[in-house]
Amino acid sequence: MSELKNNKNDLSHVQKIIIILWLSFVMAGIATGVFFSVIDPEALRGCVTFPVMSRMGVYTVGFLLFWLLTAASSLLTSYFLRGK
Amino acid sequence: MSHLKVKVDQKLKDEESLASNVGHQKIYSKEAKGRFATLRIWAVFALLGLFYGLPWLQWDGRQAVLLDLPARKFHIFGLTLWPQDFIFLAFLLIIAGMALFFFTTLAGRLWCGYACPQTVWTEVFIWIERWVEGDRNKQMKLDKAPMSAKKFRIKFTKHAGWIIFSAFTGFIFVSYFTPLNDLAHNLFIFELGAWEVFWIFFYGLATYGNAGWMREQVCMYMCPYARFQSTMFDNDTLIVAYDEKRGDPRGGRKKDSDYKAEGLGSCIDCHLCVQVCPTGIDIREGLQYECIGCSACIDVCDDVMEKMNYDKGLIKYTTQNNVDGKPTKLFRPRIAVYGLIMLGLVLTFIYLMAARVPLHLDILRDRNAIFRETNEGLIENVYTIKLVNMDEEAHEFLLTVDGLEGLNMELEQEKIVAQGGEILDLPVRLQIDEADLKQRSTPVFFHFQSTDKDGLMIEGETRFLGPRQ
Repeated sequence: MSELKNNKNDLSHVQKIIIILWLSFVMAGIATGVFFSVIDPEALRGCVTFPVMSRMGVYTVGFLLFWLLTAASSLLTSYFLRGK
Repeated sequence: MSHLKVKVDQKLKDEESLASNVGHQKIYSKEAKGRFATLRIWAVFALLGLFYGLPWLQWDGRQAVLLDLPARKFHIFGLTLWPQDFIFLAFLLIIAGMALFFFTTLAGRLWCGYACPQTVWTEVFIWIERWVEGDRNKQMKLDKAPMSAKKFRIKFTKHAGWIIFSAFTGFIFVSYFTPLNDLAHNLFIFELGAWEVFWIFFYGLATYGNAGWMREQVCMYMCPYARFQSTMFDNDTLIVAYDEKRGDPRGGRKKDSDYKAEGLGSCIDCHLCVQVCPTGIDIREGLQYECIGCSACIDVCDDVMEKMNYDKGLIKYTTQNNVDGKPTKLFRPRIAVYGLIMLGLVLTFIYLMAARVPLHLDILRDRNAIFRETNEGLIENVYTIKLVNMDEEAHEFLLTVDGLEGLNMELEQEKIVAQGGEILDLPVRLQIDEADLKQRSTPVFFHFQSTDKDGLMIEGETRFLGPRQ
């Protein structure tokens, strides 16, 4: 990677953001798949309070929350890897 | 490790070479015609045909391939998979990953060039673009021209075409999760569910953005596979390469001239290989990580060679060893290892599928009391057994219990019948004389045996608890 530094191949901000969003999207997809194959949203009723939603809705919101989490993690990692 | 030199070239040798393509310049790729282009068109039709066609297929009165997320069941033709079958999906993904390793070592970026959704959908978007805007030269001219009514109309048509195609793609994507018939019906009466609308837009937008705008940038900056595929390469991996020994020195010449006397190689320096490249590289600079192995340059160069009456194959599928004048080995340790692991996984998967019992058992102990004493002075444990019949048909079962001598079982139901896809709740009481209990906690086993289907059985373990001994 070192030869990539300080030349035209440096990534732009938009490219960095897209990379972060895309890879965290993939991870969120895997996490959603594993999570909801083990846990049925209907079974969560009574344990957790959330607005009445169809399973499809819970999956979607679950996925978006996972995505938020993975993207936040990637974003922070990439931010702190910049060095001083 | 690979000995291939992956060049990251920064020099802009000529206007068309975008060796330092970082997305600042749009790539106009020229259409390539030939063997490999035809192969890719076949691949596009086969793969997209599969994607757009499968949801229309019916099987036993329902959609043949339906990943029914709302009902938590995956229907794949005659097979119904439940969340409990998640391991099969995981297995399939691991096998797919291993196959990618195997084929990458063998044939390089075959996946990228012909089968990757990014390639396949981009291909269709480029067709729409060519159809509306014309060929490469026309596209470049149009983009240079100032905005006019005509330019606006052309651009508008192109984006409208892209958007309609993307929306349809999103619609088909969602129809893998919500039956196509319902989805189409709800669409026409404007009563689509909010989540379905969301996913149609989401997938449509991703298609439009990735295949219309991002294109080769996806391969160069977003794709994890593109980043690590070079570690699977060795000197016997199939690559697209320019024959430098034969081609250089490059230069223009008259047809039928004695170029060897002029001190030239076979390359006429026409730059067509650069113009057709979807990632905008110059293959003559050597293997570069941007090369997705689409072989458009092979097609176009073969064409030129033919016109010049030269031998074809100045740019061709070859191996690093071949380029270096060494023999190419097809069978090598890496291939054997990947191949054996893949074979092992496939065999295990087939075995697991064949041995799959479409039953699932959950045994829950009564939460209120560890045990109780009945009026007759027996020690009693209460359980709730959840029996899931994952088969399509109803089955009747015989329940037996063992693990303790003298155990008596009381069931509320007379007959245990589970309909296809039913989750049966069975309250069960086990009773035993305290004298027969040797320890405080003893493992006991419930067996369900189908009375109407041989081999359909399942066993579950739980504990029988009694007073301290």
